[in-house]
Amino acid sequence: MSGVTSQNTNAEHSELRILGFLCNWCSYGGADTAGVARATQPTDLRIIRVPCSGRVDPLFIAKALFNGADGVLVSGCHPRDCHYSAGNFYARRRLEVLKHFLPILGIDPARFEYTWVSASEGERWKQVVTRFTEQIHALGPAPKFEDSHPLHAMVDMALAPLAPLGTGDPQLLSSVKEAIRKKLPELDCVIGWKEGRDGLHTVPHFIRTEADLEELRIGPFAIHNLATYLPNYKGKKIGILVKGCDAKSVVELLQENLIKREDVFLFALPCQGILDMGRVDQVLGRYQHITSLKTDDKTVTVVADGKEHHFPISQYAPSKCYSCTSRMAQDADMLLGNATQIQGTPQTPPELAMLDAMSLSERMAFWKSAMDRCIRCYACRNSCPMCVCRDYCVSDSRDPHWMSQSDATREKLFFQVIHTLHLAGRCTGCGECQRSCPVGIPILALRQHCARVIRELFSGYEPGTDPKAVPPLLGYQVEEEHIKEREWK
Amino acid sequence: MDAKTSLPRMVQGLSERPSMPGNPYLPIPSTVINVISETPRIKTFQVVFDDKERMEHFTFEPGQVGQLSVFGAGESTFVINSPPSEKNYLQFSVMLAGEVTTAIHKLSVGDKVGVRAPLGNYFPYKDWAGKNIFFIGGGIGMAPIRTIMLHVLEHAKDYGKISLLYGARTPQDLTYQYEIPNWLERPDLDCTLCIDVPAPGWEHKVGLLPNVLKELNPSPDNTVAVLCGPPIMIKFTVQALVEMKFTPESIITTLEKRMKCGIGICGRCNIGGRYVCVDGPVFSWKELQSLPQEL
Amino acid sequence: MSDYRYLQEQDIPSFLAALRALGNRVLVPTLQKGTKESVVFTPWQEGDPVLVAKATVPAKAAVLPSCETLVTYKKTKNPDNYAETSLTLTETVEAEPTVVFASRPCDAKGIAILDNPYTKGIYKDPYYMAKREKLVVISLTCNSGCETCFCHWVGGGPSSPEGSDILMTEIPAEGTKAYVLQPITAKGKEMLAKSALKDGESVVALMNEARKAAFATLSPKPDLTEAPQKVAACFANLSFWAQETERCISCGACTYFCPTCYCFTITDEGEPTSAQGGRRLRSWDTCMSSLFTREASGHNPRPSKAERMRNRVSHKFATYPENWGIFSCSGCGRCISQCPVGLDIRKIVLHAIAEAGGTVHPPKQEEAKPAKAAPVQAPKLEEVKPAKAAPAPKEDRAEARAEGKQTPSANDTEPARSPAPRRTAKKRGFIKTSLKKSGTRRR
Repeated sequence: MSGVTSQNTNAEHSELRILGFLCNWCSYGGADTAGVARATQPTDLRIIRVPCSGRVDPLFIAKALFNGADGVLVSGCHPRDCHYSAGNFYARRRLEVLKHFLPILGIDPARFEYTWVSASEGERWKQVVTRFTEQIHALGPAPKFEDSHPLHAMVDMALAPLAPLGTGDPQLLSSVKEAIRKKLPELDCVIGWKEGRDGLHTVPHFIRTEADLEELRIGPFAIHNLATYLPNYKGKKIGILVKGCDAKSVVELLQENLIKREDVFLFALPCQGILDMGRVDQVLGRYQHITSLKTDDKTVTVVADGKEHHFPISQYAPSKCYSCTSRMAQDADMLLGNATQIQGTPQTPPELAMLDAMSLSERMAFWKSAMDRCIRCYACRNSCPMCVCRDYCVSDSRDPHWMSQSDATREKLFFQVIHTLHLAGRCTGCGECQRSCPVGIPILALRQHCARVIRELFSGYEPGTDPKAVPPLLGYQVEEEHIKEREWK
Repeated sequence: MDAKTSLPRMVQGLSERPSMPGNPYLPIPSTVINVISETPRIKTFQVVFDDKERMEHFTFEPGQVGQLSVFGAGESTFVINSPPSEKNYLQFSVMLAGEVTTAIHKLSVGDKVGVRAPLGNYFPYKDWAGKNIFFIGGGIGMAPIRTIMLHVLEHAKDYGKISLLYGARTPQDLTYQYEIPNWLERPDLDCTLCIDVPAPGWEHKVGLLPNVLKELNPSPDNTVAVLCGPPIMIKFTVQALVEMKFTPESIITTLEKRMKCGIGICGRCNIGGRYVCVDGPVFSWKELQSLPQEL
Repeated sequence: MSDYRYLQEQDIPSFLAALRALGNRVLVPTLQKGTKESVVFTPWQEGDPVLVAKATVPAKAAVLPSCETLVTYKKTKNPDNYAETSLTLTETVEAEPTVVFASRPCDAKGIAILDNPYTKGIYKDPYYMAKREKLVVISLTCNSGCETCFCHWVGGGPSSPEGSDILMTEIPAEGTKAYVLQPITAKGKEMLAKSALKDGESVVALMNEARKAAFATLSPKPDLTEAPQKVAACFANLSFWAQETERCISCGACTYFCPTCYCFTITDEGEPTSAQGGRRLRSWDTCMSSLFTREASGHNPRPSKAERMRNRVSHKFATYPENWGIFSCSGCGRCISQCPVGLDIRKIVLHAIAEAGGTVHPPKQEEAKPAKAAPVQAPKLEEVKPAKAAPAPKEDRAEARAEGKQTPSANDTEPARSPAPRRTAKKRGFIKTSLKKSGTRRR
């Protein structure tokens, strides 16, 4: 390093910060072999020895990239050679998902590679490390979130839906009430919706009596995904009203043994879309009283402080409704109507399409600007039906110290990365996280992108559709269908 | 009634008790000068301020607490269990529990720490003149008892009979073992030890502390009972004291809560409108009865 | 020239620029696009748009940032003797002069409520004090009530002055929007006197009319006089709290968006032996989190959301009033509008009062009718002086009081205060004497 003055240093010559996670049994040995053979290698790599590539949580890599690493390399035993039999099979799935996930954050996926090097492959190690270092040098120092210019953007959330959106059958409510009334004596409680602070805003409702039942609201006002509450009622027999999308969360909870099938009684509602209350409230602005609320088959009409507002569901549904292909739960205990037919194939959700159209640096700038206003209320986490750690979230953990209390934007975004990656292959896309965000950050796009990655890598896998299916990141195949072996030749 | 009494106490308390001068969040740089392993899970640390002058002028009242910082890990609240007359160091006894206490247990002589002290209120010993005092300590609860007991013993002539009942689960769980022989021998202290289950070589009482207390059956006449220990011990010991006709005013105890700021702002150690960090840690049973039951 | 100033909408940028030129950081409400639009306070720069909408996030970060460094720490080894280390602690009490522009009276009152624990308790918080002393709050009085707002339930109103240094009221003007700026404190008076704004004396009558009109839009309010006792009386009734919180998801939205919530945590970030050292941070915390009170032993005095919400509501409506004489709630309604599951603190309080056998005579919130249908009775005017309700025992407040007597003040347009704050006034008298005892000058 001597001889290079700081004046003459440019990105290509100065050392970059590259982090290597090397498995103890193979790659660390390989690096040792290269060292013993006195092979000439770049010196940018800082090595962290791990027991197995399976020990490498994708969050290690994300955290490194968020906190100043210019590149991260993971290296383990060759597939089928794992010291622990299958560690690297699990690693392969996780790391592949991560690699596909990174671009949505604005991070160049070429800054992260994973590979396999055995203890005897000193020469190969030399090639890997040289090639990866060259790759990172070609990219230069990693751009920092802090340095991004503000980029505030949002798109129109309304798309052409796959099936008509509307307010649903007006006669349905009475038959739903009747069905619940019959079943209520056998259940501890039925979870539905009722009027909240005014007729337009509904809230989750816990029905225990006939009087409670009278307050039930459904249709476009069935806003919340009530599956979030199910794990709270362990050992109780709970009825729950589910839209098609909500049912996926219930199935996913069953897949993960977080609830018992016999403890839950599913009332399946046919759904024709719900209101995106964020946008509705935006239109209403500041008002004092809702004096009239009418619903026809397509539109909710509200009179607030004497002013009439029309909310056609086709224009005021959350993005998930436009690409909805599950308008009613199928394996419910009681079907309360008929679902409409789906036509066509789902489009990319609007918030994700917006990000897709951006360059990497624009995405980074977008997240920097959007996450800046996050105040870490964790409504996204707590409203998520699949966030099952509840009071023991890693974001609160001091040991390991996953997250700093610092309110730096990258820390806030890092939490979104934690949430998304913990939900990889588990998120059903219900959108509660985004709906709950009081400052309207389109965080669902991260989950939607991750779900897309999961679909691509695991043969169209959809979480929450088959109670018997094993979530893809909890399993492996010796030969992966859609994951190519990563080689450096 | 409560509404009228709580505010004046909070405001006037300032002039009555030693408090941390200056920025109350700024720890006083200090050095560990001695570490004593008391039990497998309890260590005692003696620390001195790096600023000698500040150390010399430091005053506190028995029962007041300090926040001990291990930088990088955080800080935690402990009673200063050396008596106020001890001017050479401050002593804290720390039971291993969470992140901060783990870091504290790793400290050795010469390590740098931070101290925020004195914080909180203190034992109302000024009201005890002429009275008999019955100290009851259970396990790590002996720490606050130590400071007030040593203080009272220094001024033994001001008080009536001074007694101590100290219990722990096993003989190994007794803290300050090196001081116990002296406590047993002192003519001005009537010291009783007890453990929960018999152990070889144990010559003192055996039984749960509240039962041993009933056996001793101290007279409530002109006597205050001062007890510290785990919540369950406090619960049953107070029951025993009440049975023995101790009045709620004459039963004094200390509370523990998760704390951060230590100065009555951060909002987590409150019981109703009282903050354990400024209105406590010392409370009479009477005061506790008037507070919401959220321990 | 009177103390009032007149400001037209198109002149706002030059007014803000002048404030900036004096070295102030000027925080203004800024619209940010998203899945729903949100309005957040951001530092204004020349050329930035100016918006006067009610912010999604309160202005409290101006005095209590969501995260701030309390102390930096660094350990260094003595190069001559590695066995010796030295510890450097640096306190980071810092504040830049800040103007909050176009916050609402509920935001300002929030700051007045924070002033009690941070500046009047046994310990003064130097970090808060530094920021508070360098803060000027210019509040825009509200034109109307709002479905989620309930400032008048808790002793405030659309133009109440507590916590504000200047009150700004929109008045009718031809072809533009115009505002009257009324100084409330000496700080505000000085700022307006120094400004290049035109005298607003001629439009004070319009201002008073606008404020009266705004007040007339408010829905009838329940009487919360009994709230402190009744909420406290519900403490042991855990099933009540469990029922009220059944849909709560234990996130922290209600607390983080609350202008009066002030709990925080302190954590160390960074190793003292690292090259850059570490920082001890104070950051917002929420009593809705299980971790808030969970002890190292695992014991938790508030193990479920019922106990935690009980603490939140009790703090706001029972224990804070017990300690400081006013509700710890400015009625901004953000906890209602931002709650992902629509919990409504108004209903919890009303239910608690009813549960404990109390009454809230004038119509309950649920029965509230549109203002037009049920006009508010002519408010019974009471001469309430701003300074009586104003919080800080500072001289500038006293001046404002004097001023309040001479000129038509914001409160002239407001009806009699609810009894809870009246107790406040009585209690404040007590604070005054005790502060005097401890040597703080009040007059």
